[in-house]
Amino acid sequence: MKVTFPHMGNAWIVIQTLFESLNVDVVVPPFNSKRTLNLGTKLSPESACLPLKLNLGNYLEAANAGADTIVITGGIGPCRFGYYGEVERQILRDAGYNYDVVTLEPPDGSMAGLAKRIRFLAGRKNSWVKILKAMRFAYLKSVALDRVEDLIHAARPRLPHPLHTEKLYESAKQRLAQTMTEKGVQDTVRWVQETIRERQEGLNSMAEGINKPLRIGIVGEIYTILDPFSSVGIEEELGRLGVEVDRSIYLSGWVGSHIFRGIAPGYRSIRSYPRHAKPFLPHFVGGHGLETVGAAVKFAREGYDGIIQVFPLSCMPEIVAASVLPKVQETYKIPIMTLIVDEHTGHAGIQTRLEAYVDLLERPRLLRESIQTREGVLGVGG
Amino acid sequence: MRIGFPRALYYFDHFPFWAGFFHRLGIEVVTSPATHRQIMEQGLKKASDETCLPLKLLAGHIQALKDVDWIFLPRIVSVEADTYTCPKFLGIPESLLPAVPPGMPVLTVTLNWRKGKRQVLKDLEGLGVQLGKSSSDVRKALNEGLEWQKRYQDSMGAGWDFEESIREIGRAAKDLTESAKVPTLVTWKERMFAKMSSTALKRTAEFPIVDQNRDRLRIALVGHSYLTHESYANLNLLRKLREKAKVELVQNVNQEEVKTNLFGLRKKLFWSHSKQIFGAGNKFVADQSVDGIIYLTCFGCGTDSMVQELVSRKAREQHKPYMVVTLDEHSGEAGLVTRLEAFLDMVERRRVHEGYVSTYGECLDRNSNAL
Repeated sequence: MKVTFPHMGNAWIVIQTLFESLNVDVVVPPFNSKRTLNLGTKLSPESACLPLKLNLGNYLEAANAGADTIVITGGIGPCRFGYYGEVERQILRDAGYNYDVVTLEPPDGSMAGLAKRIRFLAGRKNSWVKILKAMRFAYLKSVALDRVEDLIHAARPRLPHPLHTEKLYESAKQRLAQTMTEKGVQDTVRWVQETIRERQEGLNSMAEGINKPLRIGIVGEIYTILDPFSSVGIEEELGRLGVEVDRSIYLSGWVGSHIFRGIAPGYRSIRSYPRHAKPFLPHFVGGHGLETVGAAVKFAREGYDGIIQVFPLSCMPEIVAASVLPKVQETYKIPIMTLIVDEHTGHAGIQTRLEAYVDLLERPRLLRESIQTREGVLGVGG
Repeated sequence: MRIGFPRALYYFDHFPFWAGFFHRLGIEVVTSPATHRQIMEQGLKKASDETCLPLKLLAGHIQALKDVDWIFLPRIVSVEADTYTCPKFLGIPESLLPAVPPGMPVLTVTLNWRKGKRQVLKDLEGLGVQLGKSSSDVRKALNEGLEWQKRYQDSMGAGWDFEESIREIGRAAKDLTESAKVPTLVTWKERMFAKMSSTALKRTAEFPIVDQNRDRLRIALVGHSYLTHESYANLNLLRKLREKAKVELVQNVNQEEVKTNLFGLRKKLFWSHSKQIFGAGNKFVADQSVDGIIYLTCFGCGTDSMVQELVSRKAREQHKPYMVVTLDEHSGEAGLVTRLEAFLDMVERRRVHEGYVSTYGECLDRNSNAL
């Protein structure tokens, strides 16, 4: 048995760790690319949402590497992601791929059924204690990953060489993927912290990049905000434009609420969002629609300069959120931009919109400064 | 007190329930007029761009409600155990507030049958407080509503017409208020059947086709009730089809049959409409007397993007003629008519000439019939 799974941003590091510490053969599919998307789009229903198309592409590419079992999480709606497993199984079967699809969820609410599925994946040799330990370690890794990601978010607008920052991020991810001890995980986070500090100290304090950067909160559908390929690298792009980015949901927060049912909160807990959303949307709408609204309110209250909502075309919960967000925008006087991505999204189009948006956010600041100087000049002349 | 009920979306499934509920409470329910161009245009202006056609229509109908004290927009989370409605239903009324005329109060209630009747009653009592009704009134009204809904669903036999039965319910309600006594089930049903047979007679008079049932094609129209019955948005597809063929509707398949036809899935569908669509679709695919299936969907429908795929797979396996019609606010009538005619021609041709297709070679057969 060779297990594979769909990509979602950095999730591969966590899933790979989980299976490797249980000595299960795992195939990490090639990273999301144009090719992945093309392969997936050919098989998918045309009006399916972007994650399904990328998932199918991942499976096809993983099949070339010998994978024969797919692991995917489930859910009982009402977001259509809960039904991905079954639809993907039928599509792959008809396309001639002989995959076993294991959906990690309690089938019809039966925990025994879930245990059976985990047992099927882990094999007979692993004891339950070992499985739980492996899950705990994978979870710790996901928290560390999120911490690194957050550090990079803060570093991007402040450090002078964007390329160096990206390199740091890549090598931190590599280190995290390879280490199999808790100490190694902690050391990596510390290493990233220290490297950033060193680089910042090397800067002349009056040089550019020290200005307080704009802060933008990214909210929206979890797959598109976690996966840089599907959102066309929006975070990196914003970082390069001198913006500090924060995000509503991090991987471990999702893992904590979705898989551990809130036993572990994750790096950024998503628990407080429903409370924030309440005046605007008092009921869950499936997926992360409620969290999107809640996070937007939270960002607005924390004084962020702008909010960007990202979701795949035709995403049902996010459409509900998108029709509520104008009210948030009005209440808190914060500009909210909506970006909808699908398989036709081009890099240049997104880049243009982001630049325009950042310009718009910077304008009030510049205007304020220029008015002040004019007053100063007038004061001197008068 | 007059409550405005928009003639869109859940109207097509649950109006009898609400009509019965409010009737018992002694509140007048006013529905918006049938969809026309202005309603659609108003809806497009006020609804969010990304949302689907039925919700845009709902936004239009909200604005078309005049002279009412409240606009009623319930949040229908679930209508039976273990299922949900579409996520967009869950976002009502908040996602549609921009469409509500300024100053107009919105009446809402959360209805979640997943949690059982007790919870539903509790939520409805909350609504009753807003309307100044006691909880015993609400309990009676709930039962009345359920009974109306049941009658409505029981009457979904062959030749059943949605608009007709709704009008019938309205008339029954009026009779009730006039005579102030509850009619027994029998008389209500009898009146219903009498009405139905008279319309059926009228129809045969209009289209005098000899031996209607044997020669005519039987086409199954599969899709959400708020698309198949929304005659303005679907460009009168149902009537056009009925002129040329005998039409089977998903909504006329009863629950037991749907349940027995939910096979071939490893995981239960968790949307109630989709369950109905998939179960009924499966039945039509297996039914030899159904000549073809038309799947009516709208652009951006999330549940259909999954379920349409499942139904089309079934149809392909059984070599059943299958067509998908996707509606949006720009649908042109000529395009639809052309596609419909081509499809019906194809189905008819297949029926007549099927015997002449060479069965030589496995591949030939497979590819020639693959749709």
